[in-house]
Amino acid sequence: MSNIGKTLLKLLGKLLLIALGFFVVTFTVYFFNLDMKLTAAIEPFLLRHYDKIERNTHL
Amino acid sequence: MAKEIGADRFGDFYIDGGKVRRRREWRGVSDTLYDYSRWLVIMATLGKFVMKPRNVKAMFRYRWMANYLAVPMMVDRHTQGLRGEYLRICHTEQDLVIDDVAKLLDSLFRGDRRMGNDTEFSKKVVLVDENEMTAVMMGFPTLKCLSRETPSTYVSVLLNQHAAEHYIDVAQEFGLAGDVCPMPEAEAGVSIDDDAPVLGACAVQCNTTCDGSLLGNGVISRRLELEDGIPVFQLAAPLRHREDDVQEYAAQEIRNAIAFIEKHTGVQWDWKAYFECAKRVNYATKCRQEWLEMNRTPYPQVFGSNLALYTETNYMAICGRVAAFEKADRTITRLARQAYEKKMRAAKEYRHRAIVWGVQSHYYMDFLVWLLNCWGIVPLTDMLSMVSTREIREEDTPENREQAYYDMAWLTENMIMRNRTHGGYRVLLDELWEFTQQFNADMVILWEHMSCKALDGMHGMFEDRARELGIHLVWVEHDLFDPRIISRQGVRDQINTYMRTVMREEPIDPSLEVLHDEESW
Ligand code: SF4
Repeated sequence: MSNIGKTLLKLLGKLLLIALGFFVVTFTVYFFNLDMKLTAAIEPFLLRHYDKIERNTHL
Repeated sequence: MAKEIGADRFGDFYIDGGKVRRRREWRGVSDTLYDYSRWLVIMATLGKFVMKPRNVKAMFRYRWMANYLAVPMMVDRHTQGLRGEYLRICHTEQDLVIDDVAKLLDSLFRGDRRMGNDTEFSKKVVLVDENEMTAVMMGFPTLKCLSRETPSTYVSVLLNQHAAEHYIDVAQEFGLAGDVCPMPEAEAGVSIDDDAPVLGACAVQCNTTCDGSLLGNGVISRRLELEDGIPVFQLAAPLRHREDDVQEYAAQEIRNAIAFIEKHTGVQWDWKAYFECAKRVNYATKCRQEWLEMNRTPYPQVFGSNLALYTETNYMAICGRVAAFEKADRTITRLARQAYEKKMRAAKEYRHRAIVWGVQSHYYMDFLVWLLNCWGIVPLTDMLSMVSTREIREEDTPENREQAYYDMAWLTENMIMRNRTHGGYRVLLDELWEFTQQFNADMVILWEHMSCKALDGMHGMFEDRARELGIHLVWVEHDLFDPRIISRQGVRDQINTYMRTVMREEPIDPSLEVLHDEESW
């Protein structure tokens, strides 16, 4: 196999590995609902922050 | 973990007292991968949204923005148990609605004086109510028609059942009565709490849907006009919308609204754009009628929340103005035909065919999915999906231009909800029984929204007619935006009690009968 062929094969292998890694990580997040578990943990901090904002509250 | 429809115990996905579910469903390889790929698309939409600093800034300024943390979960709630075409129909709709709301938010913050403060953009913005047909905007393709209430209250409660509570409390702290419908009350609360984006050349408010919304609009327009300097037009559409003698007045209101928008934006009405939108409105109506036709057979295809949520958005907020919805109509119809030919069913057992009537609980929109999965009750159609089926003129001729004012008036008068909660008892009561016959339904699930005076007055009449016709009438009380009054389990208990005591049935999925989801989004 020529050098170019080898480099291309290596590149393809790397790309496949990255794609596989992406799939494993994102599918785990998806399946175990980790995205929602994380945002649920963020919400209380945001709510406390909103309570501190100065507002021009009136009718 | 099961590929087959109905093999899962859906109650096992809930965490007692938790905000979110334990995990997502395994639906077999192809459906799980499809659902996963759509989840990636939703994540990409959200990712794109937070790339803009002004949107992140808005996230830290507006309390209701916290509800958008729950976007993927809203989709999961509506796709529970779905496989094949049903799953694809649901994603076609939900993903489009999410994309549309993300664009709406982005535009609001672009023009918002506190965020992007793009004044040139703001001059092209016309604010509209959340509960308003956007028909008067069909001929203004270069203007941006934006609703602040849609993302702050309407969508927020779909995302998080507790979203409106803070704003309801704020409104009541300022003396608004506690028995007012929580929808307009929460919208007023957002304005009182200084939590609405400020932008726009002008605003058009509508007396849809009732006295409650008039109250809310009064509070909001006061701030808009007196403080923010944004002029507001009050579009007063007749409530007796089936009467011929109100139509001339209704058409004049439309002419006046258009003249108002032209005056404040400097943009002229465009008939070509109007008739293009009219074609899309007719196409959406044609598709919906085909779906309803299928729902009259033993093989309903687009029903439950797949029908309800999409109809609301497509008919009212979009009103032919967004071409992507026409494409979605086509896709949904194709998928529904496919499933119909294969005689597919969305759940393992269909026991009862139901018409869902009344104004549905907003904090429990996935109740329709629960009805199907827990008790095998098929929600064939709902009151808000039974909107106008009248075809409007779509050819640009001098006579049709005159008729167009009447068509826009008709659409505005027949906005979902007010077309049944107002207009006399024929539209609310008599037509319900006609639909039960047309759809061969043996059951009516009647939402009783306790703050909606329009509906509550007819309680006894509904009971009398159901008894005469031998239809099972199940009342389900709720308070629209406020789960503190009647919780989701409180809603479910009313069905559970009826099904066990009157129908003497056992649930199909007993794990769903009692769920501790009071803290859930
Ligand atoms: S639910 Fe009833 S009270 Fe509330 S906005 Fe609609 S018509 Fe008005």
